[in-house]
Amino acid sequence: MVSLSWYLILAAALFLIGVYGVIVRRNSIAILMGVELMLNAVNINILAFWHYHTQLNGVVNVSGMVFAAIVIIAAAAEAAVGLALIISVFRRKNSIVAAEMNVLKG
Amino acid sequence: MNYEVLTWLIPLPPLAAFFLIVLITNKSNKISHSLAIFSAGLSWLAGMIVFIWAIGPQGVHQQILSSSINWLPTAQSFLKIGVQIDALTAVSLFFVAWTVLMIFIYSVGYHNFGSPKGEHDQPGLPPHGSTELDPDGKTIIQMSIEPMYARFFAFISLFAFAMYVLVLSNNLLTLYIGWEIMGLCSYLLIGFWYAKPSARAAAMKAFLTTRVGDVFMLLGLASLYTLTGSLQYEVIFSHEVLSQLVNSLSPVLGLSWASLIGLLIFIGVVGKSSQFPLHVWLPDAMEGPTPVSAMIHAATMVSAGVYLGLRFFPIISAGWEGGLALTPVMFVMALIGSFTALFAATIAIAQNDIKRVLAYSTISQLGYMIAAIGIGAYSAAVFHLITHAFFKALLFLGSGSVIHGMEHGVHHSGEHIDTQDMFNMGGLRKTMPRTFITFLAGGLALSGFPLITAGFWSKDEILSGAFNGGFNLVFIILAVSALLTAFYTMRQLSLVFLGKPRSEAAKHAHETPWTMTLPLGVLALFAIAAGWAGIPESFPLIGGKIPNWFGEFIGPMIHNSEHGAEHHSLVPLFTSLVVSLGGLSLGYLVYRSINKDERDPMEWSLGGVYKVLAHKYYIDEFYDWAFIRPSRWIADKVVYFWLDLRIIDGSLHAISNFSLWLGTLLRKKFDSAVINRGGDALASSARKAGSEMRVMQSGRVQDYMILALALILVGGLLVVLILL
Amino acid sequence: MQNSILWYILLIPSFSAILLLFLPESNKKAIRYFAFSTSLIPFLLTLIVWFGYNQEAGGYQYQSSVAWFEAIGSSFHFGVDGISLLMVLLTTLLTPLSILASYRIEEKIKAYMALFLFLETGVLGVFISLDLLVFFLFWEIGLVPMYFLISQWGGAKRNYASLKFILFTMGGSLGLLLSIQLIGVTVNSFDLIKISEVWPALTQSGLQAKIPLNLSLESIKAIAFWAFVVAFAIKVPVWPFHTWLPDAHTEAPTAGSMILAGVLLKLGAYGFIRLVLPLFPVEAKQFSGILAGLATAAIIFGALSAFAQKDLKRLVAYSSINHMGFVILGIAAAAAAYQTGNSAITESATIALNGSILQMFNHGLSAAGMFFLVGVIYDRTHTRQLEDFGGIWAILPVYGSIFVFTSMASLGLPGLNGFVSEFLIVRGAWHIFPLATALSMIGLFFTGVYILKAIGLLLQGPRNKRWLPLSEINRREVWVIAPLMVLMLVIGIWPTWILEIINNAVNMFF
Repeated sequence: MVSLSWYLILAAALFLIGVYGVIVRRNSIAILMGVELMLNAVNINILAFWHYHTQLNGVVNVSGMVFAAIVIIAAAAEAAVGLALIISVFRRKNSIVAAEMNVLKG
Repeated sequence: MNYEVLTWLIPLPPLAAFFLIVLITNKSNKISHSLAIFSAGLSWLAGMIVFIWAIGPQGVHQQILSSSINWLPTAQSFLKIGVQIDALTAVSLFFVAWTVLMIFIYSVGYHNFGSPKGEHDQPGLPPHGSTELDPDGKTIIQMSIEPMYARFFAFISLFAFAMYVLVLSNNLLTLYIGWEIMGLCSYLLIGFWYAKPSARAAAMKAFLTTRVGDVFMLLGLASLYTLTGSLQYEVIFSHEVLSQLVNSLSPVLGLSWASLIGLLIFIGVVGKSSQFPLHVWLPDAMEGPTPVSAMIHAATMVSAGVYLGLRFFPIISAGWEGGLALTPVMFVMALIGSFTALFAATIAIAQNDIKRVLAYSTISQLGYMIAAIGIGAYSAAVFHLITHAFFKALLFLGSGSVIHGMEHGVHHSGEHIDTQDMFNMGGLRKTMPRTFITFLAGGLALSGFPLITAGFWSKDEILSGAFNGGFNLVFIILAVSALLTAFYTMRQLSLVFLGKPRSEAAKHAHETPWTMTLPLGVLALFAIAAGWAGIPESFPLIGGKIPNWFGEFIGPMIHNSEHGAEHHSLVPLFTSLVVSLGGLSLGYLVYRSINKDERDPMEWSLGGVYKVLAHKYYIDEFYDWAFIRPSRWIADKVVYFWLDLRIIDGSLHAISNFSLWLGTLLRKKFDSAVINRGGDALASSARKAGSEMRVMQSGRVQDYMILALALILVGGLLVVLILL
Repeated sequence: MQNSILWYILLIPSFSAILLLFLPESNKKAIRYFAFSTSLIPFLLTLIVWFGYNQEAGGYQYQSSVAWFEAIGSSFHFGVDGISLLMVLLTTLLTPLSILASYRIEEKIKAYMALFLFLETGVLGVFISLDLLVFFLFWEIGLVPMYFLISQWGGAKRNYASLKFILFTMGGSLGLLLSIQLIGVTVNSFDLIKISEVWPALTQSGLQAKIPLNLSLESIKAIAFWAFVVAFAIKVPVWPFHTWLPDAHTEAPTAGSMILAGVLLKLGAYGFIRLVLPLFPVEAKQFSGILAGLATAAIIFGALSAFAQKDLKRLVAYSSINHMGFVILGIAAAAAAYQTGNSAITESATIALNGSILQMFNHGLSAAGMFFLVGVIYDRTHTRQLEDFGGIWAILPVYGSIFVFTSMASLGLPGLNGFVSEFLIVRGAWHIFPLATALSMIGLFFTGVYILKAIGLLLQGPRNKRWLPLSEINRREVWVIAPLMVLMLVIGIWPTWILEIINNAVNMFF
């Protein structure tokens, strides 16, 4: 029986990798991938908590799975929109370097 | 015959003629004058029918004809207007109808109907004459027709209408209406040749001077109406009303209401009948065409004033019986009347303008009538009013004929002389015989030539009234005036008709057409014969031979017993004879043969007095100095400039300037200083904060993420710290 | 139909003004004819009302009421009695004539005509409303179009004149609004009929709770009285509130002056008769002496100022002050006669008030006529300075004769309308204010002086070469002045028909 902490440690590690990717990478697609990693880390957390909170206590409840499914859907949608935006930016600027997308500079 | 309806209809034809001429026929001279004369003839006819009925056995001695209709609703009742025929109305109607008709006919000739249009004539100026070529190729100047011929007839029709209204009305209100319309007509007609500045000034003077009297009269009307609740003669002259008026005290000077009202009305009479001190307009009124002068001096205007005085005799004399002390109003009337008679007669001596002499003689004769009313010689006043109307109309029309003849002469001779100056005339008896005969009749009537002229009988009656009533001062003044009258009349007659012509124009003067001489003849008849209707019974020799029809007819008009009729002293008779014959012969002796360029003998014999007389005692100048200029100055400077522009508008502008100043002050010291600057400070600090914080906005996604992460970490830490 | 006819009279002008806005601006002829013909409709309707009005019954007829502000007791309550009917007739008569007189206006004609029609609605509303708040509403509505008429189509100093006009009148209406509110709060209704029953008879007891600011009833009444008086006095105008009038009249376009003098001045006098006399009889009686004094001042100073003028239009403007002074003198006499118990004084007061009301109508006719004639000559000569004129009569005989006729009506010549009313006022006021009446004779005399001055300088004198090419008054212009002249003559000769309806209405006061 794997204890809950392992899952949490895995999720934290994944999340940190995602954060690192988001902050450090220059490529927009890589940043997007970092975001995906963070979302999936959250999913792991949700499912782990669900599992340990309900399955082991014999409660009949599917909300954890539903929640995770919604996150996955949202992530997919986000990726689709994000990629579309990136393509659009690429067409205009011929580059997908995040640092160059600074039209909102104050 | 229904005399009531007929009486209502008398004034209407001239009014209809006025409107028809103004609105429709003004383009056609012929139709216009036919209409006017036809309407005057209709009125004359109706007037004569009514007159004959009135003097007949079924007439006004049986019953006064009076008929009224409701006019103005006042609270619970009505103010009525209407017409009436009594003895005074009947005789006034008689002379008005005749003189009006004659003047209308005369006007046709006077305004040169049938002559061509003048080349230089223009509306508002007397015609200058037209130039034509005669068969020999010489240019001759002819008389030319008046440019505003139709308009003239419209105006005199209205004038006649107003006089008929005045005479026929049975109440003071319609009398006043006629009175004022006459004022307008006199204004329009005196100013008929309005392009002449003198005519314009004279017209204004006439209207305004009489208006001074009119506003007082309006007050008299208002108070009479207030006190009695009516303006109808039959009410206000009833015994109860009169005694009530005599016995109630007015707020002014302790006069009774009867006296106050009488005085107010009398001021109106003074204005209209041109008595001193409101006499100044009448001499200037000769600026109008001569028929107008005749109209004003005889048929209408000034007669209306005396008519009103006669009509108001019951109120004027209320409380007075023959032999008692005069009422205040009568006293004032006697005083002003006799003074005016003398005063105007003295001025007339020194005038050289043929019409101006007549004008002053009118003022003087009106003074006689007013004085006669003042001393209670009622029927003498009525008598003189009528005879005077005839002979003064005659004299004015005659003078118009003379001027006309002179103008003819001027066209012939080409001289530039004043055609109205008597010193340019002379010897006209030969060239204008018909005018001479008729003018002579009028002149003798005016000077009271004994027995044969009307003027003698009426003037004699006034003198005997004054003498027998015991008013010696009045008697003496009037006698002296009569002497002067005879003198200046003879002066005029001699200068105009006798001697030798003193100018080429006079030599070539020409008798006027029949339209002018016919009226002269008719009027001359009356100027002689009208007096025979009133020969007093007590007159020596012929008294009683011819019935004193006039005295019997008019006598019952007044309630107060009349004096003087019973006993005819010889003193006034001799006085009459002496003054009239003396004045005439004196005038003849002095003026029978004045040569060309000779000066008036009066000028050196009277010295400085002559100058004063010639300038009419400088009264015009005095009025100008005392009233006209001050009122102009007050209106211009005090009321308009100071009161309106400076004080009222000035304070308004001060208020607005103060508000403007206050507003500016508030704007500068509060709005700009406090509110605006405070707001500015707030705005600029916000802007500053913004610009300082803008560095945080790099526009890069990752920077924001770091920021978010940092905030979450910090926030999370805080939460942990606080919760634990 | 019977009851709503006043609504039609009131609203048709506004309605046609709105319709007018849809006409093309370029088609000036259509605009003119449309404005003129629609403005005739209210006149015809007024004639129906005039002949349908039951003189025996008297009082307010053709009443109709529509709730407006139910919460505060105000409603569109309309109705006419003899006095207001006369004023409505005057308004609906003068508006078409003024529109006909403004056919020479070329610029912004659509706005001009629309403003004129709106003005008519505003004025009519004042005359027919029987509700104080509605009265005030229309009172203010009438101001605005007039302001624009002066400031847009006026003469050289139009900005000054229009500003002076509107500030003066607005200044007066502030107090008017305040005191209407005071009365409304105290009586709990704005309905005039109810107020005139309740308000004059109010006593202190039981009212204290309703009176604002802890004032006593007397002070409330005094405040309200003076507020009313000042508002109306400015509008009339009573001396010394009159200086807006010469400026406004002189600068306004011809038709504007016609309406201003003909109708708008009557609003003030109408206010005196309709509101001040019935609502404040005690106060009015108390201060009637002052009012008579001011009226006399207006009569004398108005005439003298007119005499001093060099500008023909200004002269005519000042003559309005002179004539309206007589109206106020009659009203003051009527005010002084409240509850004297003396039937002779009551009769005099009735006669004076009859005269005042007739004088309002007469002045409407003659002042409108005079201003129009000034406009006619100004259109041709482009000057109004009297010394520039002279000898016009010889060149324009028809115009000259019309001018003489109209100015004689204005002078008060017997036989024409002005005399009847002035005579009645003098007759009535002489009994009550002898001194004021006697002094006003000075003004009456100077009326003659300035009228003759105008005629003398404008028409008389030698034919002036400068004006030889002037064209005679044309057919349209004759059509404007002819109805006025006919009325002047008819009223002067046979005033009974119009005085009867006035007399019946006035008898209700006493």
